[in-house]
Amino acid sequence: MKKLANYLWIEKIGEQYVYRMTPELQDDVGTVGYVAFMGEDDIKVDDEIVSIEASKTVLDVQSPLAGKIVARNTKAEDEPTLLNSEKPDENWLVKLENVDEAAFNALPEA
Amino acid sequence: MQQVERLAYLIEYLWQEENGDKILDLPDTEQARWDMFRSLINVRPAKDISKDFIDVQDALLIQYNTQQVTDITSLTPYLGNDIYLWQGDITQLQVDGIVNAANSQFLGCFEPNHNCIDNIIHTKAGVQLRLACAELIERQGKREGVGKAKITGAYNLPANYVIHTVGPQVRKTPVSRMNRDLLARCYQSCLEIADAHQLASIAFCCISTGVFGFPQAEASRIAIDTVLNYKRIYQSDINVVFNVFTDTDLKLYKEGLKQND
Repeated sequence: MKKLANYLWIEKIGEQYVYRMTPELQDDVGTVGYVAFMGEDDIKVDDEIVSIEASKTVLDVQSPLAGKIVARNTKAEDEPTLLNSEKPDENWLVKLENVDEAAFNALPEA
Repeated sequence: MQQVERLAYLIEYLWQEENGDKILDLPDTEQARWDMFRSLINVRPAKDISKDFIDVQDALLIQYNTQQVTDITSLTPYLGNDIYLWQGDITQLQVDGIVNAANSQFLGCFEPNHNCIDNIIHTKAGVQLRLACAELIERQGKREGVGKAKITGAYNLPANYVIHTVGPQVRKTPVSRMNRDLLARCYQSCLEIADAHQLASIAFCCISTGVFGFPQAEASRIAIDTVLNYKRIYQSDINVVFNVFTDTDLKLYKEGLKQND
């Protein structure tokens, strides 16, 4: 099941919730030139999780869900244009656990 | 010291700092000197400067900035008792806070004499504003995200504070949902930081509508809706001035505000 919130796709895969770039977001930000993850692992709704500096904007992405970050796409810090990729294994941002499933279900369908 | 003499001192200081012993062709008139001073200070990187420079600069700017000041208390509200519409140069407005349409680099405009609000605010506030912004952005350790707000002093401006926000850049229409949301978030963030600092009044420029390309009509609707919603939801009694510069924006805001009357 895939949801759309804060311009991100959120996919539930097993117990994990994966945030990824949508084509619309990729179009909005332009070519990504710099990526920096920030903040703690335990996050609340609207906490900033990553700063994306791209050709059209500098966007501090906020988390639409509360939970615990268990993985970050740190490869994108070395190779920022991965976030412009169409490939799901390249254009993801973070993976969360300990997410309230009801909160996820309440997000708009993608 | 007369203004022309102050300008000569400031120009010579900046020229020498940048060009060393290279011959300076100092213009004669006050206007030409002002233009040259402005171009030199616009391109100056954010680094420390002598107290003497600041003293002379402040004396210059205080006199320059007090020539034509409009105090918010002399204006009549356009909507209710705390929403104002005013056409003019935001650097001549005496309010608690004025909003600067900044960019993500956050250091003010570096293009000499560029006719943008970021340039004129930084020029007329004084060199201290760039230094204050540099300190904020260095502490943050990264470029400023779109839709947020930061507050600094206003130095030599009639206002007390400058609230800096970076608006979205629009490269194609229709404007995307994200960019519409981000523009709204700019207004929201400015109001939040103004209320957090207990400002009595805030003047908004038309964020993103200049070189950032946001269509003026859509931007004015977002500005008005966001401000009125914020004031209603948070029961904020802050006085808000919609500061417009162009006749087009004046007309748009008049129409937009009337619809809420």
